[in-house]
Amino acid sequence: MGKPGPDRLARRFAVLLVGLAAAAAAAATSAAGFDLAQLTTQLARIKSGEATFTEKRRVEMLDRTLESSGRLAFRAPDTFIRETLKPRREKLEVTGNVLTMSLGERSRTLQLDSAPEAAVIVEAVRGTLTGNRESLERLFDASVSGSAERWALELVPRDLRLRGQVASVRVSGRGPAVHEVQVLLADGDRSTMTIEPLPGGATP
Amino acid sequence: MSDVGASVPGRRRGGAVAIAIWLLALALALGVALRTRYVADLSAFLPSAPTPGQAVLLDQLKSGSASRLILVGIEGGDAATRNAASQRLGARLRETPHFASVDNGDSAPWQQAGRFVLGHRYALSPAVDAARFQVEGLRAAIDETLSLLGTPAGALIKPILLRDPTGETVRIAEALTPAQAPKVEDGVWVSRSAPRAVLVLTTRADGADLDGQQQALNAVRNAFGEQAQRPGANVAAEAALRLELSGAGSFGVAARERIKSEVERLAVWGGAIVVVLLWLAFASLRALAVALLPVATGVLAGIAAVSLGFGQVHGMTLGFGTTLIGEAVDYAIYYLIQARASAGAATPGSDTSHAGRWLRESWPTVRLGLVTSLIGFAALVFAGFPGLAQLGVFSIAGLLAAATTTRFVFPLIAPDGAPGAGLRQQLGRLMRRAAAALPRLRWGVVALAAAATVVLLVLPSPWRGQLSDLSPIDAVDLERDAALRADVGAPDAGTLVALSAADEAGALAAAEAVGARLDTLVKEGVLQGYASPARFLPSPATQRARLAALPDAATLSARLAEATEGGPLPATRLGAFVDEVQAARKDPPFDRRALEGTPLATAVDALLLRGDASRPWRALLNLQAAPGRTVEAERVRAAIAGIPGAQLVSIKPELDALYARYLRQAEWQAALGAAAVVALLALTLRNARRLVGVLLPIAAATVVVLAGLAASGAALGILHLVGLLLTVAIGSNYALFFDHLRRAPEVDEDTLASLLLANLTTVISFALLASSPIPVLRAVGAAVAPGALLCLVFSASFLGRPEPVGGRGKIAA
Repeated sequence: MGKPGPDRLARRFAVLLVGLAAAAAAAATSAAGFDLAQLTTQLARIKSGEATFTEKRRVEMLDRTLESSGRLAFRAPDTFIRETLKPRREKLEVTGNVLTMSLGERSRTLQLDSAPEAAVIVEAVRGTLTGNRESLERLFDASVSGSAERWALELVPRDLRLRGQVASVRVSGRGPAVHEVQVLLADGDRSTMTIEPLPGGATP
Repeated sequence: MSDVGASVPGRRRGGAVAIAIWLLALALALGVALRTRYVADLSAFLPSAPTPGQAVLLDQLKSGSASRLILVGIEGGDAATRNAASQRLGARLRETPHFASVDNGDSAPWQQAGRFVLGHRYALSPAVDAARFQVEGLRAAIDETLSLLGTPAGALIKPILLRDPTGETVRIAEALTPAQAPKVEDGVWVSRSAPRAVLVLTTRADGADLDGQQQALNAVRNAFGEQAQRPGANVAAEAALRLELSGAGSFGVAARERIKSEVERLAVWGGAIVVVLLWLAFASLRALAVALLPVATGVLAGIAAVSLGFGQVHGMTLGFGTTLIGEAVDYAIYYLIQARASAGAATPGSDTSHAGRWLRESWPTVRLGLVTSLIGFAALVFAGFPGLAQLGVFSIAGLLAAATTTRFVFPLIAPDGAPGAGLRQQLGRLMRRAAAALPRLRWGVVALAAAATVVLLVLPSPWRGQLSDLSPIDAVDLERDAALRADVGAPDAGTLVALSAADEAGALAAAEAVGARLDTLVKEGVLQGYASPARFLPSPATQRARLAALPDAATLSARLAEATEGGPLPATRLGAFVDEVQAARKDPPFDRRALEGTPLATAVDALLLRGDASRPWRALLNLQAAPGRTVEAERVRAAIAGIPGAQLVSIKPELDALYARYLRQAEWQAALGAAAVVALLALTLRNARRLVGVLLPIAAATVVVLAGLAASGAALGILHLVGLLLTVAIGSNYALFFDHLRRAPEVDEDTLASLLLANLTTVISFALLASSPIPVLRAVGAAVAPGALLCLVFSASFLGRPEPVGGRGKIAA
């Protein structure tokens, strides 16, 4: 065969282009790694779960760190329960838009959407546990780092007014399990909740 | 009537006296009318004289806090623009003097309340008792407060933590936060169901003060308009925003506007139509002017009577007054035509003058018709609605004045009736032909009445009117109001416990007693919660008891040291707490006046109604049913049993019961009124056959009108009933005239024409009412206009003389 005709040159060039584009795309994917869509899909596979938690709060006014512990439970689509057992029994239960707080004999109910600062904390945890991407993106600027195995989700309230109270919520976990929720308040106080899934608690 | 036979000089003197009295009465009535206060509020459509429970309710509806609410919606544009507009509108309105409170979710106005609550926390907190200030109680309370630190709520607590470590302020805030709160977006309230920002305003002006309400509404519109024009406004985005206003005040103002324009419309049209008819009848300016005299006298007398009797005249009364034009002009028509018709050889001033003959021959019939009409309107006076009572008094005074003017003044100023013939001859001839033809249709009328009776028996009862049918508010406006109310969680037709007491302290103590009982129901899940004025303002006794539970400084310090041992907040840092508890022990109890200027005052005023010499202090506790349930009245009643002055009031059923009671009462009154008309006719006619002859056409007309209304699907109520009674009362005039003509030796066409004209003026004036957008007027008009016409036609059928045209009847020469 003689010299490559203009046709074949063009074809080779095209193949080269396609190859380059594919390589670029692959590189881009590995740089972004794991994203919110993938994380929430992975989390949403777990429909309900139970766990124990211990929480440490550092409050600038106090001499000591405050500690508490108890149980967490969630059920898709929108139920989340946090029951504090120590130092005192206290229960916070959210279903849909209704938040009920009980303390001994007293109990009060409020609508989550009427108290956005409470909604931010509840939604950061509930939205992550149930893998509700829509709800997370509505309330937060969310950024994911790490991989599917070890990830961290940084949530910053979109509403500037709320950012004046809650600076950020950082949720980290392994695979489909949430391991830690760290809340950083605007005044510098922070709380760290460590979560231990109960064996057999999670149901896909 | 006694002056008919007086001597001529006596008559002249009597005439001068009659005219002098008439002019004096006119001047007095005019004076009263000019000084009269004209109103157009909605309370005229609420019944009066109800039971004590209903008194609470009506008080609330008329001047309670609900009547001072303005609900504002900002629609259109995007959420950020709407919410920012709500922020600015709220801030701007708080600067104006019109509002006791402006709520849109913005917490800024509550800062002042926060300071008050913090300063009086030991008197206000429901948690304060002796146990709370023991070592155990202190430890638990401090732990609870600390558990809120490190959460978003902590930011609010930290600044006061060292003064209030037991968290009384938090407990008070909890108690004051309603369970049903609007959705918050960008710091302001928004609707859950529609793209809309919402605000709730409480006017300073009373709900019944429509001028004040109007000013407040204008202030909102102006403030909203100004926002779009401020420098730096995003004109394009904000042009898309719309302002929606609702609430009792806005309804009241809108209704007033509507009533005003309606009164003008009715007066203009009513007047114009009567003038046209009179022109047809006389084609003479002088006759026209004379004919309008009894009308003017009647209207002035009506206004003066209502003004003197009620202290004010409602716009609705004036609107209804146009029917008086139609009725009062009848007397003029009868006189002016019939006096002329009886023209003969008689000399003026003698018994045999035209006027004298009219007074002898026709006046007794006119007078009888007047009295039956008065009986009909008297039923309005006792109908139990102040608005209707005004209509009754207005009509009675107006008709009496118009008839008296005709009887005593006309023979003097128009002894020979009125000049001019207009189209009267044609009308008369038409009427004679009709009167001759109609009796042949007698059996048709009977068949029609029978068919109407069957229709009434077959159709379900049309008497299903409600109180709300009387309200001149559009269904569309009511829907918008309901939507805005749902947005802000302000239910309108709820259930409440009402309490009465002699003074503020008593009302608050009673509210606390009821509250303690209701707490049990809340615990059992029967209720979700309730609002009580005692949460914002505990009774003096409760405040004293709480403050007496506070330990002295030394005791508190010792207990505090023990309670905080080993905890994160050492007692050494809580010196301010000990000092403030110490200071609080010496505080005197505060009362409503101390809240002035804070949003707490508005909140208390909504639930605690000031008493005076005429009515007791009242506390209202609004009940919130558990989600998805209604309030179980029996459980609540059982719970509050034994607390003096406490009663359960369910607004919607209570109003319905109220209306039902008035409907029953109105039925009795209508029956009595009808019976009185029959008795009067029986007494006057003294002849069973004549009585039956007069009553038959009236009964047939009533049945046919009722069947027509029922078949049209209308929900009939008190006002239709009133209309039917008026049909009987007014319709009997025509029957009586036909009865009179039947026995007269001769019937001239002019008299027949006068009857037709008088009927037309009445029918047209009530038909105008029937076309009114105001339900009260429409209902009466829809019953009377066809009723009066049918009464004339049926009377002609039953009582007309079936002779051939041009027979015995003699046309006056």
